Amino acid sequence: MKNDIIEIRWHGRGGQGAVTSAELTALAAIHEGKYAQAFPSFGPERRGAPVLAFNRIRTDRAVRERSGIIKPDIVVVIDPGLVSLINVTDGLKPGGTLIVNSARSVEDLQQDFSGDWKLAVVDAASIAKKLLGVNIVNTTMLGALIKATEVIDCDSLREPLEERFGARAKSNFEACKQAAENTVISEITPSGDKRPRSFAVEKLPKWNELPVGCVVTDVGNTKAFCTGNWKSQHPEWLDSKCIKCGICSIFCPEGCIKQQKDGFFRADLFYCKGCGICARECWTQAIKMVEEA
Amino acid sequence: METLSVYVPKLVTNKEYIASGHRACSGCGEVLALRYVCKALGRNTIISNATGCMEIISSPLPETAWEVSWIHTLFENAAAVASGIESGLKALKRKHGYIKDVKVVAMGGDGATADIGLQALSGALERGHDFIYVCFDNEAYMNTGIQRSSETPFGASTTTAPSGKVSMGQHTWKKNMAAIAAAHNIPYVATSCSSYPFDIMYKIEKARKVKGPSYIHILSVCPTGWRCPSSDTIKMGRLAVETGVFPLYEIENGEYKMNFDYPKLRPVEDYLTAQGRFRHLTKEQIAEIQQKVIVEYEKIKMLSSRKKGK
Amino acid sequence: MTSKRVGLESSLGIAQAVKLANVDVIAAYPITPQTHIVEGLAEMVANGELDAEYIPVESEHSAMSACLGASAVGARTFTATAGQGLILMHEVVTVASALRLPVVMAIANRALSGQLSIWGDHSDVMMARDAGWIHIFVENGQQAFDQTLCAFRIAEHKDVMLPVAVDVDGFHATHVIESFYLLDQKTVNEFLPPYVHPTPLDPDNPVTMGCFAMPNYYFETRKALDMALRNSKKVILETWEKFGALTGRHYLPVEKYKTENCDTLLVTMGSFSENAMMAVDRMQESGKKVGLVRLRLWRPFPTEELVAALSGAKNVIVLDRAISLGGPGPVCSEIKAALYPLEKKPHVVGIIGGLGGRDISPENFIALVELGLEKIKTGHTGEIIMFGVRE
Repeated sequence: MKNDIIEIRWHGRGGQGAVTSAELTALAAIHEGKYAQAFPSFGPERRGAPVLAFNRIRTDRAVRERSGIIKPDIVVVIDPGLVSLINVTDGLKPGGTLIVNSARSVEDLQQDFSGDWKLAVVDAASIAKKLLGVNIVNTTMLGALIKATEVIDCDSLREPLEERFGARAKSNFEACKQAAENTVISEITPSGDKRPRSFAVEKLPKWNELPVGCVVTDVGNTKAFCTGNWKSQHPEWLDSKCIKCGICSIFCPEGCIKQQKDGFFRADLFYCKGCGICARECWTQAIKMVEEA
Repeated sequence: METLSVYVPKLVTNKEYIASGHRACSGCGEVLALRYVCKALGRNTIISNATGCMEIISSPLPETAWEVSWIHTLFENAAAVASGIESGLKALKRKHGYIKDVKVVAMGGDGATADIGLQALSGALERGHDFIYVCFDNEAYMNTGIQRSSETPFGASTTTAPSGKVSMGQHTWKKNMAAIAAAHNIPYVATSCSSYPFDIMYKIEKARKVKGPSYIHILSVCPTGWRCPSSDTIKMGRLAVETGVFPLYEIENGEYKMNFDYPKLRPVEDYLTAQGRFRHLTKEQIAEIQQKVIVEYEKIKMLSSRKKGK
Repeated sequence: MTSKRVGLESSLGIAQAVKLANVDVIAAYPITPQTHIVEGLAEMVANGELDAEYIPVESEHSAMSACLGASAVGARTFTATAGQGLILMHEVVTVASALRLPVVMAIANRALSGQLSIWGDHSDVMMARDAGWIHIFVENGQQAFDQTLCAFRIAEHKDVMLPVAVDVDGFHATHVIESFYLLDQKTVNEFLPPYVHPTPLDPDNPVTMGCFAMPNYYFETRKALDMALRNSKKVILETWEKFGALTGRHYLPVEKYKTENCDTLLVTMGSFSENAMMAVDRMQESGKKVGLVRLRLWRPFPTEELVAALSGAKNVIVLDRAISLGGPGPVCSEIKAALYPLEKKPHVVGIIGGLGGRDISPENFIALVELGLEKIKTGHTGEIIMFGVRE
């Protein structure tokens, strides 16, 4: 590994700081005298949507590659919900490392994956909530990366963290250190795929299959697109308090809260992004936001 | 007024023209305002949309969230494209037996409207095309990452006018687009806000009936750019109105009418301190904003009290 | 059928063609030397001779933008511009082709500013070269009239659906009163079917036009546009054939003039071709084997026809009425590229001339050819040659 390039793929959601994690990793590596890159996947996705960030790190000479990372050595999953949504191990090299933020046990998570990989698990959310007061785990997850791969040293992060977070650097550094201590590592066996997972593969048209001027006639077809997996919390209705006023429905940016036959309202969780407006605006406080499992 | 007596299912059509599955940020006030605008416009509408958040979140090829006919071409030309649509339909009606009653609507964000697209908008308003222009004002270039526009309010920190050791961030006052639109002597101008669905729908329905150009400026809360919790979107818009920071009024044939008049405005501090973009402001700066808000609010009130023929 | 010969300014000839095409929407912003075209149209609309919406927009950017909107609802649409106007419009020009909206535009070719020049050259068109439009160059008023009519038929053809520019040299062609054979309305109606957009902006059948394309889609959208532009040649040829049968005036992507048995071929584009023809006449009278090849279709680039026309020559001299600052002349470099695969290649020499309205008379053309041949003889290695500049 020493002279080889190490490639890392970060999975997070818009607003969770996956790009920051990648940037801090690269800055720490450069601080150590290594050569490194950090770059995001550019796209239109917004706060809450699954996003990617990448690193390349090499000890002995400059990194010149400027294309996407297809076969990473390390995958870091910042948001636990993504494991069931996205094929996070896509392209992960045999002998590579999968690092997941999850409250689930290593044994339980192992059931989801099959491959010749190392699995590292840390409950970063609990650490971040305790030490930072918020469920933002991007810096915490750096600790898990350090523990599982030693791709950078914990101390190298001190300076980049200070530059980025100022007064808040100390607590972020603590969270990182504590995550390193609490990371549990185990091996995955190549064959033990006990929970089959399947992910949709987009069929892309050839150039001559595009309509003239790329006009879309199948209007409203975003309805097939799930934005419900962006959320970290969802609304629950207490019908006994509900006066069926429908204010939750009018104030839903997704337009996904509909009146049922019984007159009560429910959100279509396929679209709900968990913004919490409905709960905030309900006159009678009949809605509460519940953290996603 | 938005009161407890409002029962949404009876008052608002269930029909949505901007489909779920769009990629707007969680808690987006702009797409919320867009929902109301589309509901009030109904199906007999053709929309010309400027480049910006609402365009990007709704139309990644081969997908579209739109259920009305919609065209996007560029950033600064939504009003000019609408001019062409309106003129095209006029010619089709006169020459080729076209009989549909279509309202043409151009829309864009504050950058597309007040900055880069101001010339095209001015041209279209001046030429008197029968169309509605809707500006969804979230007070910065949010689509590209919170850069300042001429609609960014005094004191707000953005990525191109950040607050720093020697800067308070934005040091200019928000451009008054409603007055600029009204200066074109168009029949109908109104301001509204994403937290006031019935106000938006009332004004859009009114604009739809106007023959000639109308301009609706909608303050659209952006939790991402304003740096507030996504659940506070509605609250933040209400605060903007109740503090007098963004008064809701109409200008009908030059005549001002304040729609929501508050005998006692809430202090602007309530609004400013609730948002990260104003976090750096000093007491003195907040006092300066407070003073300006009262002066501007009184101006609209004064204009509203002047009735025609008096 | 063809009417009797009339005297008309070329710009007004274009306006006549637009009127005969019964255009629905004209959106234009005045700029010299395009003004006479749009003034003529505005007058026709004002007098009720032409039933169309004339949108007096506040800029060229809005002119093309309004054309997009009108074309997208299914209205036949025309605009005209020149020089800086085309450059200001440029951002929208690329959208017209990408959305496949068949706008027709007359470009009164004009030089580009810094030092403001209202006079003619091809620099404006060259900057719009890669925008996905069909470009047809004309040499005189009659051709401008004919090609404006052909442009609507080509643009709106269901197998094309692309915008078309008719490139008319500013002043040298636009502002000259000359003789025309016009066409009657019945003939035009037979030649030009109504415009039908397959998926217009329509409230009853909603569509979305103008999606953005992520990296996994964009490249395919470009290939689709490029192929549409390349394949448009079939309809262009068919249209010109039909037009020729109807009027006796025949057009080809590459038109040869007295090229038989010639060692040396001059290549021109636009209004100076007529002067070049006169020069060829005189040179051939004095026994010189010099012929002329005129490039009419600039996009899609007629590689095949050009190679066929030029491959037999020993020497090719290309006149560029545009300067690609710091690089080779644009027409010449494309011709060189087209001839490169040939085993036996002609010597090609490019000459830049006629910038900012500077004349190249028939006498000048004789000198220009001599200069070109001299450069070939003395071993020209690709330096930029200019004709008619004070040195």
